[in-house]
Amino acid sequence: MKPSVPAAVANLAALLRDDIAPALTGFRAGNAGMAAAMFDMVAEEWDRAAARLVAENAALRAVLTRGGIEHAPGPDADLRVSALEAANEALRERLITLHAAVEQRDDADARSLENAIWDVLRASVENRRIASANF
Amino acid sequence: MKPITEESMGRYLSARMPNWRHVMVSDFHRLPMGASRETFRFDLAYEDETGRHAQKMILRRDPPASNVDSDRRHEFCAYQAIYGHGIPVPRMILLEEDPAHFDGAISLAEDLRGFHNSEYQIQEPAWRDRLPRLAEGLWSAMGKLAAVPTADLDLEFMKPATAESTAAQELDYWEASLDASDVGPEPITRAAIRWLRRNPPPPAQKLAMVHGDFRAGNFLYDDAGELVAVLDWEMAHRGDPLEDLAWSLSRVLSFGKDDRRSGVAPRADAIRIWEKASGLKADPAGLHWWELMMCIKGQAIWNAGVSAWKKSDDPQVIHAYAAWWLRNAQDRAMLELMGKL
Repeated sequence: MKPSVPAAVANLAALLRDDIAPALTGFRAGNAGMAAAMFDMVAEEWDRAAARLVAENAALRAVLTRGGIEHAPGPDADLRVSALEAANEALRERLITLHAAVEQRDDADARSLENAIWDVLRASVENRRIASANF
Repeated sequence: MKPITEESMGRYLSARMPNWRHVMVSDFHRLPMGASRETFRFDLAYEDETGRHAQKMILRRDPPASNVDSDRRHEFCAYQAIYGHGIPVPRMILLEEDPAHFDGAISLAEDLRGFHNSEYQIQEPAWRDRLPRLAEGLWSAMGKLAAVPTADLDLEFMKPATAESTAAQELDYWEASLDASDVGPEPITRAAIRWLRRNPPPPAQKLAMVHGDFRAGNFLYDDAGELVAVLDWEMAHRGDPLEDLAWSLSRVLSFGKDDRRSGVAPRADAIRIWEKASGLKADPAGLHWWELMMCIKGQAIWNAGVSAWKKSDDPQVIHAYAAWWLRNAQDRAMLELMGKL
């Protein structure tokens, strides 16, 4: 799509925030401001979403394999964001099971695997950060 | 939801208040406040046996779907319970629970106008010199609330709790709320819950009336930065006063995007002011437990907003916006508190 989706959506956000919202009052102004902020988040997420999910799903599969947890094989074949998100949720569900089990063990391998799980989760959070977040 | 108009509100008040004559409702409009309830403002005029009266009013209405499991009666009773006990709050005027009138229950309260409540305004450079006063007002009021003996308050409308039970009760409640929302698996939140269960906090130093959402954005302040009134008591409950302190320290509610908590003051300053006003000690281990617990509560609320958005006939922008804006930041705050960031 031309102009690019991030550029067009960022333009819509600016239009809402700087032109339309100031002409409104009260509840409608609030909604327009939040809609502008959501457009900003869409602009940020559009380009990176598929790459982020493919990388995260690969990391999740690796740590699940290391933990002996069965999962759907990779790499992701369907690269639509909806399909990648569905795969991501299935993998995260299994990660919760693995994480809880590893916490119950008291050995060096478990601690190493637990650290690897935290590495995956930390990378996931950092890669999902949005510019407007408070933290 | 049935629209509320000046005419429908005027008709309702005329019928509800038989002593009121010539009831006039004007300038009725919705305010951009809160994710959980609809809030409206209007001017009221009427006559009774003592003469002509004019009042500024706030109306709140329960929606069919909300991100917070509360209702008009609970918040109305919470305001009434704390009114007159040293914590400035607006006076409650009327509670109508029959949905036949306005589709959802409503409450009316005095509207304290001419003040500010924006958590964003105080991030502007022009307000920087007034932040110390805002910090004093925010955490002093919170500390004073912690100091009020619960025996002095009518809290019968609240669920029972003890100093020993409140931590587990809150964790159970918010975990159940998370379970009820359909947002997909959350490994960090679930790991945090397991940590909280493995590491229970010490019993509360005392049982207190906990506001439940005590932060910038939920109090009125004047041009000088003086706190005028504490608002939004719908999540008030009996509990550990460290809970309010911990919520106000939340990273995701630090609107300056820096180390000033609630966008107002550094963590250490907040704790110092709260301890002085409450006469209590913020035990570091207990406070840490509650800070992580407040991440669970926050995530549960943002997730409940997703559920409310999905099932509502009239999805509210704020529910989708808050979830997009806050959920990953909430995960990040949990990582920090668990030493994993």
